[in-house]
Amino acid sequence: MEQRRSIGQLAGAAVDPTQPAVVVDRVTETFRLFHERPSGLKERLYRLRRASYTDFNALEDVSFTIEHGESVAVIGPNGSGKSTLLKLLARILPPDQGTVLTNGRVASLLELGAGFHGDLTGRENIRLNGAILGLSGAEIAERFDEIVAFAGVEHLLDTAVRTYSSGLEVRLGFAVAVMVDPDILLVDEVLAVGDAEFQERSLERMRTFRDDGKTFVLVSHDLEAVREMCDRAIVLDRGRVLFDGPVSEGVELYKQRVVSSSAPRVDRRRGTRRVTIDDVQLLSSDGELASEVAPSSHLVLRVRLRALTEVEVCSVGVVVSRGDGTHLYELHTTWQGVGVGPLQPNQEAVVEVRFTAHLLAGHYAIACSVTDASGRETWAVVAEAARFAVQPAPGGAGLVDLSASAVVADGPVRRTGDGKAGPIPLPRLQRRQARG
Amino acid sequence: MSDVAAVLGGSGVTARPGGVDADLVPGGSRLATLRASNKLVELWRARELLAQLVRKELKVRYRNSALGFLWSMLTPVLMTAVFSVVFTQIVRIPVDDFPAFFIAGYLVWQFLQNSCQGAIHSIVGNGELIKKVYFPREVLPLSHVFSQLIHLLLALLVLSPYLIYSRGFGVLLHLPTTLLAIALLTVFASGIAMWFAGVNVIFRDLQELFVVIFQVWFYATPVLYPLALVSAQMGERFAWIAQLIAFNPATWFVELARLGLYGSVTAADDGGALLVDGPPAWPALGSVGVALVWAVVMFVVGYSVFLRRARTFAKEV
Repeated sequence: MEQRRSIGQLAGAAVDPTQPAVVVDRVTETFRLFHERPSGLKERLYRLRRASYTDFNALEDVSFTIEHGESVAVIGPNGSGKSTLLKLLARILPPDQGTVLTNGRVASLLELGAGFHGDLTGRENIRLNGAILGLSGAEIAERFDEIVAFAGVEHLLDTAVRTYSSGLEVRLGFAVAVMVDPDILLVDEVLAVGDAEFQERSLERMRTFRDDGKTFVLVSHDLEAVREMCDRAIVLDRGRVLFDGPVSEGVELYKQRVVSSSAPRVDRRRGTRRVTIDDVQLLSSDGELASEVAPSSHLVLRVRLRALTEVEVCSVGVVVSRGDGTHLYELHTTWQGVGVGPLQPNQEAVVEVRFTAHLLAGHYAIACSVTDASGRETWAVVAEAARFAVQPAPGGAGLVDLSASAVVADGPVRRTGDGKAGPIPLPRLQRRQARG
Repeated sequence: MSDVAAVLGGSGVTARPGGVDADLVPGGSRLATLRASNKLVELWRARELLAQLVRKELKVRYRNSALGFLWSMLTPVLMTAVFSVVFTQIVRIPVDDFPAFFIAGYLVWQFLQNSCQGAIHSIVGNGELIKKVYFPREVLPLSHVFSQLIHLLLALLVLSPYLIYSRGFGVLLHLPTTLLAIALLTVFASGIAMWFAGVNVIFRDLQELFVVIFQVWFYATPVLYPLALVSAQMGERFAWIAQLIAFNPATWFVELARLGLYGSVTAADDGGALLVDGPPAWPALGSVGVALVWAVVMFVVGYSVFLRRARTFAKEV
C-alpha cells in the first residue's frame, strides 16, 4: 500500500503489520474538577489558599489490544469514559498513567466540521478541514471532487459556509472526514446525522472501510448499528472495562446493565467466571426443540450449567428480546426465590424456565446469564442462547398476544369470511424485524 | 512519556498485548532528543495545515472590505505622519528623513506586536477544535506569526519606492540584511507567540496585561529613536537605561532591520548629542550573533514551554 503522510502518527505512520493496531496498557485518565477554577493571575494572587478540587478518574486501569482489521464497538452508559477513551486513541489527550500505542494513520470522526469557518466558502473550508485532519495539499486536491460529490454541495462551493444549513454543514464535514482514508478510524456517535439517504451512504462508506480490512473503533448508543458494524465490543462502566469480547455478548450485557440498575460485572481476566453455561435448549411443551412456534405457545428454556469453582448459590437470568434488540422480558430465578447451589467444582445443574410466549409473528432471541444471588456479579453470559420465530397467525397484529376476542355486545352481527381469514398482513414493524 | 512512545511507534518500541517492553524505551536524554526532533518533523508535516490557517487568517480579515490589504497600511502610515510631525517639528529627534527612519523600525516592531497579539488568543479561541481533533497545537500561534509575516513583506513592498527614494538604492543592495533581520525576528516572534499562547490557557487575564507589556516594550525599543542617541544622551546616572535597552532583544532585530532599510545611525566622535547618518550598510557580525542567539533561545524556551503545556490543552480550554 502506498505510504501516506500523517501529521498525527509520523514515525508510526507506516503500518507495521506484525504489531497490533492499538495497544492500550493500564491507562488511567484523571480529570481535575475545580470547584471554582482560578482562571487568571489576579485570582491566583488574591487567593492564598489553594483552589479546591476533586480528582475524577474518567478511565481507570484500562487495558486492551486491537488487531489490524478488527471492528470494535465501545459501549457503556453516559459518563463511563467512552469519549475519553476515543480521545486518548486520537491523541487529543495524553494518558495520565499507562501507555497508548497506535500503529498506522489514525483519523477521528469525533465531531464533524470541527474547524469550519463561517466566513470561508465551501471550497476553502474543504481545504482547511482536510488539512486539520492531516491531509497534504496534494491529497486534498486529489479527493476534492469526490468530497464535493459525496456531500452534494456542487452548487454551493463558492458560498460562505455560514449560509449553509446545519445539516449541509455536517454532511460536508462527514464527506471530508471519510476521505482521510486512515488505517484506524475512530467514530463517535456521528452515524445519526443527516437525512435517511445520507445516513445510508455513510453506513455504506463505513462498511466498505471495514470490509477493506481497516481497523475501526465505534462509540455509539445505537446498539443495532454496533451489532451490524462491529465484531467485538468493549463495555465500559465508570471508567473500567466491564467486558471485552464478541459484540453480541457485549451488547447483551450492556442491555442487562442498563435495564437492571444493579450492575452485573463480568471481568474475564480476573477469573470471576465461576460458572459456565454448557448448553441451552428451547423446547416446546411436548419436549421437541422449538424454533418456530405458534403465538402463545408454552415453552421451556433448559439451561445446563456447571460450576468452575465452589459456588454457594447462584441465580440464572433470562432475557427475551425482539430481533431489533428491544427488551421484552427479564427474569432472574432469585427474583422468584429460586437459587442454584451449593455446587461443588464441576458439578452440573439444570434449570428450567417455563413460560408462555405471548408474542406475535416475529423473530426473538433469548439471552442467558448466571449471576450471584444479588445479581451484582455476572459469572457467565450467553448472548444468543436461543432464537425462535413466532408464526404469523390470524387474530391480532403487533408485538404482544393479548388473546383478545371480539363480540358485538349490542346490535346486529354479520360474520365476515368463514371466521378463519387468512393471515393478517404483517404490519411494517414486524416486517422489519422479520428481516433480521 | 506515553505519547513519546506513540510517536516512536515504528522506530524501536515494540508494542504487544500486555504492555511495552520497558527496556526498549530509550532512556533520558536520547528520548528528549528523539522527542524534540519528532516534534519538529511533525511540525514540518503539518505545513499544509499551517498554510491553510495562514490563508484563512488573511482571507477572513480582508474578505468583507473593499480596500482589503490597504487597510493594514493605514496604521503604519498614519503613525508615521503623526510621529513625524511630533518628533521633527515639536521635539526634534536628530536623524535625517525621520519618516523613513520611523517606518523602517515601526513595520518590524508592528510585526512582532501583532503576531503575539493574535497568537495569545489562538489556543483559548480554538478550544472546540482542540477538544475534537489532534494536530500539532503549535500551528495555531504560528499561523498568526506567518500571516503577520506576509503582511510585513507586502507592506515593505508597497513602501519600498519611498524608502529607495529617500535612502538611495542601497536599500535594494542591502536587502539580504533586511531579510536576515526579518527571518531571525520570525523565529524570535514564534517563540514568544507560542509561550504567550500556552501560558494564556491557565492565566486568562494575561491578555489584559499584554497590552501594557507591549506599550512599555515599544518605548524600550529604539523605534522612535536611534540606539546611538540613548548612549549619547544618558549620563552616568542613567547608564542602566542604556544597558536595559541594549539587553532588550527587540532592539537588536529593529536595529538590524533598519540598518538594511534605512542605514546606520552612529554617535559623533566628540561624544555629544550629534548623530551621523549613514546609508544602508552591512551589519557587524557581533550584532547578527546577538540577534541569532536571542532568536534561538526564545524559540527553544517558548516552544518547550508550549509543548509542556500543550499536553493538557484539551482538558483546560
